[in-house]
Amino acid sequence: MAKDKKDSGNLNKNLKQLAEITEWFDKREEIDVEEGLEKVKKAISLIKESKARLKSIENEFEEIKKNIDLKEDENYEDKDF
Amino acid sequence: MEKNEITENNNTDERIFSVSEYITLLNIGLKKFKAKIIGEVSERKIASSGHVYFSLKDEQDGAIINSIIWKSAYNMYGIKLEDGMKIIAKGYPEIYAPLGKFSFIAEVIELAGEGELKKQYERLKKQLSGEGLFDEARKRSIPKYAQRIGLITSKQGAALADFLNNMGKFGFRIKMIDSRVEGQEAVVDLLRSLKSFKKEDIDVLAIIRGGGSFESLMSFNNEKLVREVANFPVPVIVGLGHHKDEPLVTFAADISVSTPTAVANYLNQSWEEAVLLLERYERNILSRYEEIFENYRVIENKLKISLESFKTKLSSAKMSLEYCLEKSITGFKSLLQEISQKIQHAQEVVSSNDPARQLELGYSIAMAGKKIIRSTKDIKIGEGFSLKVSDGEIGSEVKKIHPVK
Repeated sequence: MAKDKKDSGNLNKNLKQLAEITEWFDKREEIDVEEGLEKVKKAISLIKESKARLKSIENEFEEIKKNIDLKEDENYEDKDF
Repeated sequence: MEKNEITENNNTDERIFSVSEYITLLNIGLKKFKAKIIGEVSERKIASSGHVYFSLKDEQDGAIINSIIWKSAYNMYGIKLEDGMKIIAKGYPEIYAPLGKFSFIAEVIELAGEGELKKQYERLKKQLSGEGLFDEARKRSIPKYAQRIGLITSKQGAALADFLNNMGKFGFRIKMIDSRVEGQEAVVDLLRSLKSFKKEDIDVLAIIRGGGSFESLMSFNNEKLVREVANFPVPVIVGLGHHKDEPLVTFAADISVSTPTAVANYLNQSWEEAVLLLERYERNILSRYEEIFENYRVIENKLKISLESFKTKLSSAKMSLEYCLEKSITGFKSLLQEISQKIQHAQEVVSSNDPARQLELGYSIAMAGKKIIRSTKDIKIGEGFSLKVSDGEIGSEVKKIHPVK
């Protein structure tokens, strides 16, 4: 649970950072190449991490959903008896 | 010649009898002259044996007949003979052989004249009442649902038919003893009947007869009979059809009603009540059953409604659960999509702004020191500058400047 919270916190933090980076790019008239490059590197890392986390969450969600479906089927079987 | 050989058929013309034999013959004949005679008692003597000797004198002409009443009969009728008392004696004449004395053997005696009878009745009533024989406290109630009935009455009278016609069909077992119920002679029968019934297994004893005059009911004023009735082992009910001057037996009985029909009705009573009670119980049971069934139907309906309601609630809860689940799933999916879009957007922004990408396309960035050269004015001829390319930097020097207008 604590891990989930941490992960969830990370994802939120990543998204926030990504939002800041895109905003930085949108608003800057003069691009500082060095800083821009750093931002891009950071953004790519965040995106990669976030995508992985998102995928993990999606998988976990699918697993949970599968369990729910399975339990419903069991209930129906009980009813048949 | 033996005495026992003497009969009324003996040829008296030829035969020579001894005195004793002749008296025996006479006594046989005299027995036919059984009669009731009325007269006044005189010269009454009670022998040590208990037998009572007296004369009966004709009221009109003073004619006299010697009379005897044996102790057993005397005690039975409860009349204390006194000189001057007017009585009716029923009996037969007899010659007493040892003395050659003619006597009237009184088998039954009763007082003659309403005045005497009333006097005797009142005296005995007072005496027995004084003894507590008629006390209410002594009265026993007729057992409920009595079945074994002892009945004393005459087969001849209408009383029996009245009684039997009015007895309900409740499984009564009636045992009857035929008894005279009229006149003083009835006392013997009545006492004998009571004695017989004492040995019988009965629930109640009924003594009945039809209505009659005070005189005709005199046997029911007999002291011995009254005492027997009062002390009878099972409750006694009487119906003697009297109008006034109730016979003393009615005071001694546990229950006294006016007629044989009333006795039957009295004995029917508890059974009739039981039938009514049973009918009421039957009705109550049936209605209670109806009530139970009705209650059951109500409960069944309520149960059905409750089950339906529960089923509906269950279904509703399930739907609600499914809705929540669906909502959660779609909500979460859209959240994931939103996040994914944000990441995608960030990727696009980053990609389009990536300076390295521009450099890879062949663009380079000229920099004089740390400043990007954006205008011809930013550098002079002869000054050095660097060019950032995709894979490094190139050092250069300005040789010409051609501003574009």
